Order: sequence, then structure tokens, then C-alpha cells
Amino acid sequence: MADLGKLYSEDRKAVLKHREWRGFRDTMYDYYRWLVTWKDMIVMVLKAPVSTVKGLWRYRWMASYLSTPSFIDRHTAGLRGTHLRIVHLHFNMIVKHATGLIHTSFVADEKINPKNKLSKKIVLTDEIIPNEIFSGFPNLTVIPLQTIPIFLTSMVDQQITPPYLEVTESFGVPADVCPLPSAEAGVAIEDDYPKMGCCMVATNMPCDGSVMNSTFLDRRLNLPVHLFNIPLRYNDEDVQEYAVEEVKELIKFIEEQTGEKFDWDVFFEALKNSNKQLGYEMEKWDINKTDCPQMTGAAFWLYRIYYFNLSGGVDKRFLKVDKKVNKLMLKGYEKKEPVSKEMRHRAVVWSCPANYYTSFANWLENCWGMNVVMDMETMISYIRYNTEDKEQALKDVAKTYQRSIMRKHTKGGYRNVVDELWRIVEEYDADTVIMYDQISCKGMDGLAGIFDDQARERNINFIWVKQDLMDPRTISRRDMREQVNKYMQTVLQEEPLDPSLVDFEDDLAW
Amino acid sequence: MRDLKHLYEFEKLLQEANNELVQKAKADGGIALGYTCYHIPEVLLNCGNCFSVRLRAPRTGSMDIATYYMSNFLCGFSKAILERAIEGGYNFLDALLASETCSEMNRTAEHFELLNLVENDKFFLTFLDMPFKIADHTVKHYVTQTRNKILNKMTEVYGIDTSDAALLKAVEEHNEVCRLMTEIGNYRKEDNPRITGYEYHILSLITYCCPKSLILPMLRETAEELKTRELDEKKNFRAKIVVVGSEMDDPDFTALIEDSGALVVADRYCFGTMPGREEIKINPDEDVLTQICLHYLKTSQCPRYMSHEKVQERRDYVRHLVDEYHADGVMYEQLKFCEYWGYERALASYVMSNDYGVPTAAVDRQYTASASGQLRTRVQAFVESLEIKKIQKERKAKENG
Repeated sequence: MADLGKLYSEDRKAVLKHREWRGFRDTMYDYYRWLVTWKDMIVMVLKAPVSTVKGLWRYRWMASYLSTPSFIDRHTAGLRGTHLRIVHLHFNMIVKHATGLIHTSFVADEKINPKNKLSKKIVLTDEIIPNEIFSGFPNLTVIPLQTIPIFLTSMVDQQITPPYLEVTESFGVPADVCPLPSAEAGVAIEDDYPKMGCCMVATNMPCDGSVMNSTFLDRRLNLPVHLFNIPLRYNDEDVQEYAVEEVKELIKFIEEQTGEKFDWDVFFEALKNSNKQLGYEMEKWDINKTDCPQMTGAAFWLYRIYYFNLSGGVDKRFLKVDKKVNKLMLKGYEKKEPVSKEMRHRAVVWSCPANYYTSFANWLENCWGMNVVMDMETMISYIRYNTEDKEQALKDVAKTYQRSIMRKHTKGGYRNVVDELWRIVEEYDADTVIMYDQISCKGMDGLAGIFDDQARERNINFIWVKQDLMDPRTISRRDMREQVNKYMQTVLQEEPLDPSLVDFEDDLAW
Repeated sequence: MRDLKHLYEFEKLLQEANNELVQKAKADGGIALGYTCYHIPEVLLNCGNCFSVRLRAPRTGSMDIATYYMSNFLCGFSKAILERAIEGGYNFLDALLASETCSEMNRTAEHFELLNLVENDKFFLTFLDMPFKIADHTVKHYVTQTRNKILNKMTEVYGIDTSDAALLKAVEEHNEVCRLMTEIGNYRKEDNPRITGYEYHILSLITYCCPKSLILPMLRETAEELKTRELDEKKNFRAKIVVVGSEMDDPDFTALIEDSGALVVADRYCFGTMPGREEIKINPDEDVLTQICLHYLKTSQCPRYMSHEKVQERRDYVRHLVDEYHADGVMYEQLKFCEYWGYERALASYVMSNDYGVPTAAVDRQYTASASGQLRTRVQAFVESLEIKKIQKERKAKENG
């Protein structure tokens, strides 16, 4: 596995000179999966060739998706056996679902297909609202507005966000705000969201920045907008009545806007699927608590947040993938198959990971033998839904939404993020915490000293990694790696597992 | 103009959070309840022998320790409050009523608990969950929050009477302050106002940071004094502006603007009087607490309200102030690192100048701004641009006959 760094081109683009040799079976499997990714992308184009090509010319972000195979390669570098297979299965499901979303967006886009009928059957939502509640409207198509144009693209291609950030900053928004909502506002200012939908559901999740960028989105979309409020102090029982009322108001708004009736049977069916998927998720977590984890790194949280928000029990393909993955994981666990060449440290990743460097955990594993066994994004709501009683089901949905991505830990009080970290560290027997210092996240910045104080008391390897979520110009991937390198070399005085990965340039890479 | 009789005394009081009047009220058995956000209904904190103190950190110097705890990237107000608390500057407090309205101030308040910052065994800290829009169920939620987390806690810990009668009494005192401030504030509508923005800013801060009962006599006297205040023959300003923006408790900022030639005629910022000093109208047939909560929800101009009506209302409100106070322009100010106002300042100033045709400037500032030469230059440039616009307007009017 050594010398992975030598596979990268030396022109700062870090393109693979050739594919990694993993032994015959694994190399063939990896290559086969690479072909499957291309196949899924080509199928998407063939389903609506004119719309897709028009979309490619119309939207700056669309070209980024052409680099998806490279994105997956970054996350599979160095993997072998079971780990390689389950990561591929997860990514392939994401690709399948995302290509579907892109396809629907272009077909329904009034800029590309004026007067198309699909557009009016679409409900736009803020990307952070999980899909469960919309499952009760099976005749409608729900598109999370920001997911395809900016959130997912920023993971696939680190170069796509800066132009949108510059647009927002030129408009007068300060550069110190969180770059995620800022980039989303930039897409709105640039008019780079597909034009579609009969209404929009906005939300106060996850943070102050996303509350505020909604005014930019609102101004651009010019659609009837419903504001879906989620309480902040979610551990308090006295906020739950209001939370449930908000869910009911949301249903009422969609019924009024679309003329559709909420279908409780379909809704319960989706909740049952979500419960099943949660069961699979918990099995994965359990395996990772043992001394023989089977899936470490970014695929864990990427897949988790993807299905948590975008499937919500609606797309059963995710269940099939999970069933298959868990079977492989259990088999690997029974055989005591090592997840990587050498696991020197068990790490927990805390705070929001950088979208422009989602494969950072993969680098940690390959370069320093640091396996990420759990992270903050994966550890979102694990509440089981009641699938028989309507009122209780809505209560469960409301509670789940209060504990969704990027807000379960950052809202509702410091205990949700500080105490929770130490609980996870203990539960997963971690000796290291990779603490992302997302410099623009005010909720996390506000606890920096407390984390430091408490980490010292616990005598744990606590490695701060500064990053700027969506903006690689502020802190590059290389800068992020360098922070870990320094800690490993000076504090722990360890030798890298793969010296070729310690320092390389990739600031011009996708 | 001659200085207002109590101005110097007011200025002196504002040099400390734990000022002479706060100390006096405490010595008389008063219970000091601190808060930092408009969403904590100030009037509720003035029930019985309690009195409200909106926290400031005057004369802030180094913020090194707060920066260790909260990084370089949080707003100066949040960090200054934490620094002052660590220094022991808020040991006089009997409680801190907080709300998770903005992440930054929320984290500051949490440090009061995490670092056990107030040396008082009975000290308590609560956090309100605030809605982002106004609807029947959100009002109900807000009422429940204030009942459970403010009033019940006051009764439980300090035995305070929070009955409707006690609330009405607090409203009565609050309304008198509001009436006086409105009366004084109305002078700013005059062609050549008899009160400067700086003086008004001082009065406004006094009403937030000192026990109401102790400042009322001086406030009444000031209102009386203003009735007959003699004006300078020549106007001391070149343009009138409305200041809109995030938390501002630094009267030196207003002084800086006025030294640069602009008179601040309306204060639409956090710690200002718009909103903040509107009378609370109580209908005897309806629930008192609900009416109080509704008042605060309706009058709030905080950018965290993201519903379409509230966003539009904020812009219309500023335009209304420009018309009513005969202002020549609007200055949007934002405390650096304030996420809410970072966005609001950008979009609202764009809308104000492009959609409404109101000359607008947008600035960001540090918590303590008095020494900022850069800011002074920005204000001077804005004043000059307003003057040019005025001249152009007059010339055009002449040309059109």
C-alpha cells in the first residue's frame, strides 16, 4: 500500500497517473466499480440528452460532476477487501440517487424546458430538511434546492465554491460568515439554481447563516415560501408541542399549495423503511465499537447524511445496499479482517468536516494509520419512529428533525457537543480526536477553549485541524494535512505509515 | 446648545456595568437580572424588587482570555461580555436570562455556567427557545418559555410575585420610561433638533442599564429641560441619518458619526429605542403575559425573523423612519463577525438604495469603535455624498422650475 503519494501527478492537480494496484481481485473489483460509475452517469445523460447538455452549458456547477469518478477514487485509495467493497457500494448508491436528482432538475427546469408540466409538481425544500415528512405526498416530487448545485458539487470539486463565494462577498456579505450559506446565496445571486417548483419550504436549520441566506434565496425564487421552524433548545420537553405544531403547519402548507392530500399510509411505510435503515446503521456502529471495525473514514458519514436527508425511507434502494453492506461487514468482522493495513489510532472526528476535503479521513488512515471509527455527522438522530399512531409519529419526526445534520450538536446547549464528544470517545474506545476548527462556525468557535481545557483533563490526543468548510483558498487541503503532520511528528513523534503521503500538492485538484 | 443637566452624570454611570445606581438598588435589597437580548422581555425583569440590567462591557481593553475560550472569529460584544464576566465584573448579578437567539451570545452565556463566573450561590441562568416567525402557536410557545424559564424561576429562586397585578405594575413603570423617551425622541424630527444623537444615545442606554425607578426622576427632569432648550443659531450638522444595525452600546460611535457631520436622528439598532421604547398596550380582558410577549415579537426588528412578511416589514420600517425623521440617508452598521447582520446589512442596504432610492452606506465595526480613523473616513465620505445628492436635487428642482 505504501507510496500512494507517488500515484499523483506532480502538477498540483494530483491526478492519478495510473490506477492503484491492489492485488488482482481488488484491482478488478475497483475497476469494475469505476466503470459502473461512468455507466450511471452516461445513463443519466441518455435519459434526457438535450436537457443534460443544455444544463451543462447553462450551469457552472454541472461540469464538476464529470469529476465524480475521481471523487470516489479519493475515498477508496488504499482500501482492500471488504472495506473497499462496502465503500464502493455506498458511493454507487449515492451516484445513482444523485444522477436521478440532476436528471429531474434539468427536465423540470423552466430555463431549459419552458412550459414543462413537471415543474409545477415539484416542491422545493431547503436541503437540510430530511425527507420523511414529504413521503406523505407520493404524487409530488421533492427537490432539495441547494443539494445538487452547491452542496454535493463542493464535495466533488473543491474549485466550484470560490466563484460563488466571491459573488456573495462582492454583494457585500462579509467574508467571515460560514461559507456554506454564503455559497448558497452566491448561487442565488448568480441565478444558478434551476428554475422550478410550485413552492418552497425554508427552515431555520442548521445555523444562523442559513437562516439569513434564506432572504437571498427567497428574493431569487419568488415562490410561495413556508418557513418551517425547528426549536433550538431541543432537550427541553416544553418545546415539543411547538415542534409538532410546526410539522402540522408544514403539511397544511403543502396541501394548500399543491392540492394534494397527505397520505398517512405511504408516510407510515416510509417511516418503517427509515426504522429498518436505522437498524442497519446501528449494526454498523456496533461493529465499529469493537477492536475490528469494518468501515472507517468518510464513507460512513457521507452515506449517512445522504440517505438521512434525501431518502427518508422513500427510496428502497438504500435498504438493499445497507442489507448487502451489513452482510459483508459481519462476514469481515467474523473473519477478523483488518479494515486497513495498520490501525495505530482509533479516532473520532468532531465538528463539521470540510466539504472540499471529504477524503481527509482516508488520508489520515493511509498516511498515519489513524482510523476514524465515528464522527459527528454520523451521530445524528437515532430515534425510532412510531409507525401506527399518527400523533406519536409526528412527535417522533419533530424530535428527529431537531437532531438533524449540523445542528444536533451545535444547537441546544454545549452539552450536546462537548459532553457528547467524550461519551463517543469512551464508547468507541478512541485515543484521538480530530477536532475540526471550522473557522467560520460561530457555534463551535464559541467553545474552543472549553474543548481544549477538557481534552487536557482527559489526556487524549486532541488534534485541531483548521479548515474553512467550503473555501479551500483560506486553508488548503495541504494546510489541513500539515497540521496533523506536525502533531504526529512533534507531539507523538511517530513515523508515517506512508511517507509519500506526508506532503504533496493538490491545490489545483478537483 | 448648553449641556443637558444630567448628561455628565449619565455618562459617568455608563462607565461601569455595576454602576452607582445598580449598587444602590442592590443595597436596597433589589435583585439584579442581567440579559443581553431584546427577546428577553425587559419588563418582566422589573417585577417586584427585581430590576433589569442589559449587559454591556464599557471600557473594554484586552480580550485575550475570551479569545482563548471563543476564538478570534466571534463578535466583540460576545467576547467582551465574557471577558468582563471572567474579570468578575458581573458578580453583582442574581441571574442571567439568556436566549438562544444568536449562536455567539448563546455561547457567551453558557460560559457563565461552564466557568462558574458569578460568585453568588443563588445565581441562575436560563435559556429561552425563540421562534423565528409570528403565528398563534409560536406566540403560545414564547409565552410558555417566558413563563417557565423566567417568571417561574424568579418566583422559585427569589420568591418574586409574578402575578398579573405585579406584571401590570411593571408595565406601568416601563411605559412611563417609554413615554418620556418617545417625547424626547420626537424632538429629533425637528428641522434643527434640540437634542443630538449622542445625547439621545446616552439617555437610551441609561434606561437599559440602570434601575428604572432610580432614573425616572432624572429622565423627567431632562424631558422638562428639553422643552425650553435653546438652540444654536447655526445647524451643527450637514446631513441627517438613520443608523440601523446590530448591537450597539457605544455612544462614542454616535459621537464619531456626529463629529463627522451627520446627525443621528433615529436609532434602529440593538440597544436603541426603535424598537425598545414603545409603550406596551394592555387590554384588561386578555392575558397579560401573552400581550407582553406579543408586543416583543411584533416590535422586534431582529434579522433572525426569516418569514417573508417580517423581512419586508424591516425594510419598510427603515424607510418609514427615513420619512418620519426627515433623514437624508441610512447607515447600516454591523458588528464584525455578526452572522445575522452580515447578511442583513448587505441585502437590506442594496434594497434600500436600489429599490427604495434611499442613499445608504454600510459599515462593519468593532465593539469599541471610538478610535477608528477608517470608520471616520467612511462616515465623512457618506456625508459628502449626501450633500452632493442634496445639491444635485436642488439644482434639478430649479431647472424644472
